[in-house]
Amino acid sequence: MAAAIRVDALTKQFGTLPVLRGVSCEVQPSEVVCVIGPSGSGKSTLLRCLNGLEEATSGRVTALSVPVHDPATDLDALRAEIGMVFQRFNLFPHRTVLQNLILAPVAVRGLAPAEARERAEALLDKVGVLDKRDAWPNQLSGGQQQRVAIARALAMQPKVMLFDEPTSSLDPEMVGEVLAVMQALADEGMTMVVVTHEMGFARRVADRVLFLDEGLLVEEGAPDELFDCPREARTRRFLSKVL
Amino acid sequence: MEPEPILWFGWFRADIIAEYAPLFWQGLRMTIGVTVIGITFGALLGLLVGMARLANARHAPARHLTRFLLRWPATVYVSFFRGTPLFVQIMLMHFAVVPLLMNPADGLIVSGELARTLRQDYGALLSGVLALTLNAGAYISEVFRAGIQSIDRGQVEAARSLGLSYRRTMYHVVLPQAFRRMLPPLGNNAIALLKDSSLVSAVGLSELAYAARTVAGAYSRYWEPYLTIAMMYWILTLALAYAVRRLEHRYGRGDTR
Amino acid sequence: MAPASPRFAFVVTFFVLAAATAAAQSRPLVVGSSATYPPFAYETPAKQIVGFDVDVIQAVASKVGITVRLVNTPFTGVFASLDNGDLDLVISGVTISDRRRQSYDFTAPYFEARQLIAVPVASTVRNLQDLAGKKVGVVTGSTADEVASRTFGRTSANIRRFDTTPLIIAELVSGGLDAAIGDNGVIAYRAQEHKGLKTVNDPGFPKEYFGIVVKKGNTALRDRLDSGLKAIVADGTYARIYRTWFKTEPPLPTP
Repeated sequence: MAAAIRVDALTKQFGTLPVLRGVSCEVQPSEVVCVIGPSGSGKSTLLRCLNGLEEATSGRVTALSVPVHDPATDLDALRAEIGMVFQRFNLFPHRTVLQNLILAPVAVRGLAPAEARERAEALLDKVGVLDKRDAWPNQLSGGQQQRVAIARALAMQPKVMLFDEPTSSLDPEMVGEVLAVMQALADEGMTMVVVTHEMGFARRVADRVLFLDEGLLVEEGAPDELFDCPREARTRRFLSKVL
Repeated sequence: MEPEPILWFGWFRADIIAEYAPLFWQGLRMTIGVTVIGITFGALLGLLVGMARLANARHAPARHLTRFLLRWPATVYVSFFRGTPLFVQIMLMHFAVVPLLMNPADGLIVSGELARTLRQDYGALLSGVLALTLNAGAYISEVFRAGIQSIDRGQVEAARSLGLSYRRTMYHVVLPQAFRRMLPPLGNNAIALLKDSSLVSAVGLSELAYAARTVAGAYSRYWEPYLTIAMMYWILTLALAYAVRRLEHRYGRGDTR
Repeated sequence: MAPASPRFAFVVTFFVLAAATAAAQSRPLVVGSSATYPPFAYETPAKQIVGFDVDVIQAVASKVGITVRLVNTPFTGVFASLDNGDLDLVISGVTISDRRRQSYDFTAPYFEARQLIAVPVASTVRNLQDLAGKKVGVVTGSTADEVASRTFGRTSANIRRFDTTPLIIAELVSGGLDAAIGDNGVIAYRAQEHKGLKTVNDPGFPKEYFGIVVKKGNTALRDRLDSGLKAIVADGTYARIYRTWFKTEPPLPTP
């Protein structure tokens, strides 16, 4: 079976600053991969390279068997298959919750509005914010906004979901509700790549954990291995600070 | 026989205004018409130019093309029309550019009797509206550019990550949000355009300032004609400001700012 | 406040008066002219103001022993500048009219002006009446504006008003007008610059006269200028200047 995502010797520089220095990894279908590491280690950049939000300086990224950074690739079509959830939610403030969910399925997939609406309501119900469907994003709490953002990505029925520190801008009491939604998604067999600082979530949900430091993939392994007996000194140093 | 002067408050010769009333009414209609056309086409042009100035492409050949064919021409256009007086632009347009293109003898686009008829019936209107539109477009493009740039990058990323194309992202996500922030500066531009349209009287377009100038020329009196059109302009700008406030109120919901 | 000593006041008054008189005698008279009106007055590329008006006033000045300094003043501002003392006199193709006589003093006429029509060479227009229903360009507030307003209606859309004669000629050349009407000297001069134009003389236009303008009540200056005008006509200087600028003999007897 082909990997959902495959990264070969990926490097990325911002100007003269190297952010990724040759990263290679794979994500299998239905696998949940958590990416951890200190801030500035390049983990968000890695994630943003997976759907082409960032260009690669060198190396290859293949997502769903499509070369992401090939000029001939229809990135819009590829991105429709890859959902993404952002640290700062990025809901569309001029659209109600329901309109946030309906926009892309109608505009990109050509779904009938009624059908898109039905699908959206089911998803809102699933993430527990159906009662807010007609609210404006700025009327919601952070946790509710992030759950709407997850539902918005799911409305496109993606094959892969990318999460970029989805709980980092949340008040502590709202982290749980978002992680619960993500866990449910993982249990359904969604292919997920999650950049996170939530070590408990990574240990509980991930099939595999990648540890990035200074643009290098330092260590990867099953959560129990990586958290309980890390091989690398840098991993140990990092874990001793966050656990 | 000169008609008996009608004096208001002992000094305002109302009879002069009454005598030229048709010119003032026609002037009012023309001022409103020119302003509406200028704002409408200026906004469309401003939107296109504003986007051209922000245009960029991912890969090599298209990247250079956008720079040379879109960004640079747009920048030069905006710089010229913001950096030269509108009056100069109007004179250039009417007495230099338009006659070059449209001339009974040797117009580049239109010549012969058609050119004469067009020039006589719509000449001043055409060049006036052209100059005002190009000028307004330059200013409005900066409003659009600032408005578009003020939208958080995360909005574009969220839309693009859902598979929306650049154009759909602009249309569904960026522009509706930018539009609301642009309303106050757009309103200011519209008011400026309304007032600046008075300069078009220099090429003989019979709008409000033309009416005042005609009366002042005939009677050597300045209070009556210019006070009259000042009041008319004032009422128009107040109405325009009110309309903009209503629009802002209507489209102001849901903005997180 | 202590009262000023009467003697001190007298001394001050004396000096102020003396200074003012001295200034009035030694300084050149300031002459306003709108130098956008060839061949009467216009600026050369070297920024010199030349023209018929300029030669006339200089000939007059040298005859009566005054010195003059020419100042280029937009026509719309000449009367106000005369009122507030920035100018001592104006020679700028100013038509003598009863209305203006109420506020200013004029010398005897130094030029006989008539309205002249400029049209494209192919035009069949022969007089003012032929222009009914046609687009006619005039300078705002000029005599031609008055005549056209009277003939075709003040608010007629067929009258197109512009700020200067060059503009109505430019508009005529580019096809925006069927005819332009203006003072004969200027229209003739402009029309011969464009080979596509000709002039039409309608004898029905009333004659008008240009005069030199001084502030109301400044009869001393006006009389001096009048004597100068008489002198340059008598000795042939006037006719020579006229020929220089209009390539034709002056209509006699002028002024």
